[in-house]
Amino acid sequence: MLDKLINLFPEPARPYVAPILAIVIVLNVNLGVCSYLILLERKLSAWMQDRHGPNRVGPWGLLQPLADMGKLLLKEDVIPGHVNKVLFVLAPGISVFTTFLAFAVVPFGPVPSNLTPGDGQFPFIIAPGVDLGIVFIFAIGSLAVYGIILGGWASNNKYSALGCLRASAQVVSYEIPLGMSVVGLAMLNSSMSIEKIMTNQVDQGFIGWNIWYQPLACVIFFIAAMAEAQRLPFDLAECEQELIGGWHTEYSAMKWGLFFLAEYTHVITISFLTSILFFGGWHFPFIAEATSNYTGATAVKVAVLLSKVFAVIIVIQMLRWTIPRFRFDQLMGLAWKGLIPLATVNVLLVMIVKQFDLHTLWLFPLSIAAFVAAGLMATQSSRPFAIKAKLPVEGHGHGHHVHAH
Amino acid sequence: MPTVIVNNKPVEIGASERLNCIQAAERVGVEIPHYCYHHDLSVVASCRMCLVEMGDKKPDGTIAMQPKLFPGCQTPVKDGTVIVTDSKKVKDAQKATLEYLLLNHPLDCPVCDQAGECGLQDYSYEYGRGYSRLQEPKNIKPDKDYIGDQITLFTDRCIMCTRCVRFTREISGTAELQVVSRGTHEEIDIFPGDPCNNKLAGNVVDLCPVGALCSKDFLYEQRVWWLKSKNSVCPGCSTGCSINVDQNNDVLYRLKPRENPQAQGAFMCDEGRFGWKYVHADNRLTLPEQRANGQIISKNWDAILPAVRNALKEAALRAPNKFAAVISPWATVEEAYLLATYVRKLSPTAKLAIGPIRTVGEDDLYPKDVHGKPVTPTKFTIHAEKCPNRRGVEAVLKQIQGSVIEFSSVLNQVSKGEIEALYVLGGDPEGWIADADVIKLDKLKLLVVQDLLASAASAKAQFVLPGGAWAEKDGTFVNFKGLAQAIHRGLRGPGEARPDGRILMELSEKPGMFQAPALRKEIAKAVPALAALSVGDLGELGVPLETAAAKSELQPA
Amino acid sequence: MPINPKDVDWVEEPPMNFWEATFLPAVVDGLRATGHHVTHFKPVTQMYPEEAADLPRHYRGVHRLNRDDAGRVKCVACMMCATACPARCIDIVAQEAPKDDPKWADRDKLPNSFVIDELKCIYCGMCEEACPVDAIELTHIYDLTGMSRQEMLFDKEKLLSVFDQTKDSGLDPIRTHKGRLGPASDFQQLPTLGPATTVVGDDRSAKAASPGVIK
Repeated sequence: MLDKLINLFPEPARPYVAPILAIVIVLNVNLGVCSYLILLERKLSAWMQDRHGPNRVGPWGLLQPLADMGKLLLKEDVIPGHVNKVLFVLAPGISVFTTFLAFAVVPFGPVPSNLTPGDGQFPFIIAPGVDLGIVFIFAIGSLAVYGIILGGWASNNKYSALGCLRASAQVVSYEIPLGMSVVGLAMLNSSMSIEKIMTNQVDQGFIGWNIWYQPLACVIFFIAAMAEAQRLPFDLAECEQELIGGWHTEYSAMKWGLFFLAEYTHVITISFLTSILFFGGWHFPFIAEATSNYTGATAVKVAVLLSKVFAVIIVIQMLRWTIPRFRFDQLMGLAWKGLIPLATVNVLLVMIVKQFDLHTLWLFPLSIAAFVAAGLMATQSSRPFAIKAKLPVEGHGHGHHVHAH
Repeated sequence: MPTVIVNNKPVEIGASERLNCIQAAERVGVEIPHYCYHHDLSVVASCRMCLVEMGDKKPDGTIAMQPKLFPGCQTPVKDGTVIVTDSKKVKDAQKATLEYLLLNHPLDCPVCDQAGECGLQDYSYEYGRGYSRLQEPKNIKPDKDYIGDQITLFTDRCIMCTRCVRFTREISGTAELQVVSRGTHEEIDIFPGDPCNNKLAGNVVDLCPVGALCSKDFLYEQRVWWLKSKNSVCPGCSTGCSINVDQNNDVLYRLKPRENPQAQGAFMCDEGRFGWKYVHADNRLTLPEQRANGQIISKNWDAILPAVRNALKEAALRAPNKFAAVISPWATVEEAYLLATYVRKLSPTAKLAIGPIRTVGEDDLYPKDVHGKPVTPTKFTIHAEKCPNRRGVEAVLKQIQGSVIEFSSVLNQVSKGEIEALYVLGGDPEGWIADADVIKLDKLKLLVVQDLLASAASAKAQFVLPGGAWAEKDGTFVNFKGLAQAIHRGLRGPGEARPDGRILMELSEKPGMFQAPALRKEIAKAVPALAALSVGDLGELGVPLETAAAKSELQPA
Repeated sequence: MPINPKDVDWVEEPPMNFWEATFLPAVVDGLRATGHHVTHFKPVTQMYPEEAADLPRHYRGVHRLNRDDAGRVKCVACMMCATACPARCIDIVAQEAPKDDPKWADRDKLPNSFVIDELKCIYCGMCEEACPVDAIELTHIYDLTGMSRQEMLFDKEKLLSVFDQTKDSGLDPIRTHKGRLGPASDFQQLPTLGPATTVVGDDRSAKAASPGVIK
């Protein structure tokens, strides 16, 4: 079918048809899915809080995204007089551009291993064969915060400035556990290509899912990725109580909408990555194995992957309405005192297993043990890593006081 | 010095002072509750609210207390008298008395005008029991249909303190009110066909500690707790009664006499009490006006004040000897001073006249006997001179001009064409010019009228400046015997009317805002006769101008 | 004023146990709670414009001026409500009761005009608390609309018509007894009933040999 489509084009253009088709599909699906994910989130939060949620536009509020979109497009687009106009306009664009760019190396279906340009196979990835896929995503993904920093800085507003400073501090901190958590994966698979890591899992079947080898890394990755995407409970850059709207205080209409489009695309990206890196990609026992060859198998594989992604998104959304926002010192403490040491230990474990040629399944109990050890350390009565507050001694009321925290 | 002991606190009283227990206790801030006692009336000791324990301190230091309670109002104190007002015995007596007084008193406080300033409410709260044990029906007497033009009697609320009866007998001497019947049937009433319409009748409303006697003028107009009060002086005559101006939302509701032994005592006459209605009259001037050839050019203060200033300057330059100002005896000392100095600055030879001094009949002295003849000693005087500040204005004019010119002579000069420009500072609600004389003003080239009410004269003026009534401004009035009292701004004037002091301050381009205390200090320096004003703040009771020099200056011409 | 250190209780956060330190049970618990609301969805929202609102018994809506048994306005124009009103939305002009009219023989004072600005009103119910004769009450009427500000100034007639409209609703006379005049307006019957102020049985000041001053 795709062959016929490609053959409609003149010879020189044929190699580009499939990739362009992939780009078009990805972009459009992403945009549509984003708006409906927002509706889903609003409904979900309403149900959690015993409300109805949006229910006025269309049946069950299904046309709400369209109404929102129309509203955002038609609203007055205020550019305050005191902003740096060029950067102010550029910032949301950068945010959206970088998050979409990161999607280039994310496979969204069974990627053919023997892909050659123009052979009539649909690639299921925009940029196939990038060996540094993970590094590319992290590099580009962390550029998304560039848009936030620009927006906050260009707004020339103290709340925006504080918000963007928080965002940069947060992203710098969480880059480290995010990167460290996949170092183990890269070593186990001897590759940083996302397609390759996925294919490796699929080839080994259910037991090959990386979650069995890297459970600790999975947790660290998930947490750090949420922080990267500025999702609650990590959205300190825009927390209303302290910073009005944070970095987007001065933004309105579609420019504001673009920021949130970027955030949602980021969520989709990390959901894809979590499913692909740790949960076997499109693999599912019996119905979507590497050997599955029945008619429509490709569609099933795509559906399996998308279901996994959807499940992860739901978890992320539920977490948002379940866990209260961190305090900033807690946020930093979590990264530097919790995730980074654990990620380092995890890398160490992988090295040990590789060095001594142990069975890779040893990593499962070892990871759990590392996690438990960390928990035990935190609960030790001596608490070597905790700062003990100096309490005033009874009877020395006028002594030196340090606030407990 | 005789020493009285009140609740273990020593009180020194003057050797020749004759005080009762209530007055002695007041000296140390101890309140002995009382209804029937009033210091200007005779003592009847009928309400029994002021019962106290009394005793004597012997020279050897022992104290012998009397076994029974004594009415504090009727018992004089002497050296060594011991008064106890806070013992259980006294408190029980107060509770019992109040319970008795409330036996037949209807609890209709919501509809009673006295609520909020009621002696029964206050004492019940402070000294009462809080509930009644009466099981019988209350004895409700019907209200009196008519006892006077200004007062109304709700018989059921009366507690028979008889203050009103004693007032009409002792202060006004007219004795219209009386107690009829005996025992529980006692009530206040008039003699048939002889209503209580004397000129001091309004005072019985103030004297009544409960809501039995009410003023018809104020009845149901306002709740008293909404009224905001300012100290002032009644402008009705040269007696200069100290009063309170009670207003709410810039509406004047009533005047009440304020006790001032230096001025009039504790009362005021009905002429003054109800004679303030012109303050809210429809013909009050509310907008400044500038006219040329009978057409109104402007109604804007910002435009008119400079125009007045220019017109006066031109007139003073053109004919400095034909320039005159008339200052009404209703103006305050400050206004008289501001206008006189301003006019003299424009033209040192300008004539300064005092406005017409209205007199009505003879001084009205109280109390009177049955034939209406005054009886000595005089306890209250309604003066014939119906203006509040003749002496103050005269003192200013004498200092600045050397003599006081009568208004009639100015009017003569106007009709002869000897005066071309005239500035009139009015304020007398009865007007300052007779209708027949208005035509004389046609010869003027410039007439500026600063007044309260619209009149035939203000209709002729090139400039009309709406001033404030006495309740709308700060200032000083000097009464017939040379007592300088402060009046205070109680309410804002209607529309764009401004206090006269402010108008003159802005007209004369004097720096700063109009502030009476500061101006008084300036006047005290400039006018020796008014040197007593140097205190600035005249206090509640006022300051007498009684230096020898001031006295001779103030003798009527 | 600085806080005296002696008055400060210094509290240290309690040490966490192992499971708390991992945070996982708390997260799972939270997800279970929020998830339970999704799966057992019972909305509390009232679909107001489509369905009539289900109001609590103490709901405070539009005011009404009660009538007594004779159909007269119960209000005695004491202006307690206007005094108590924090929004200053009540404007009363009093008048003397017509003396020669037998209908008003037992009354001294009545409102000549009684205007409530329903837009200024904050529906706090203080007027109702303050009224000594139970004349003003807040009803259950909540859908108050008007085309102009003038229309929202409710005068005496309008307020009385609200009473006529709501007196039989069964919802509204729950706070005050309907029909009879309050204790202050019908004082003539009062004394036969007993003490003017009810003395509670366990009032110690009433039992004392010398009853205390009730402050």
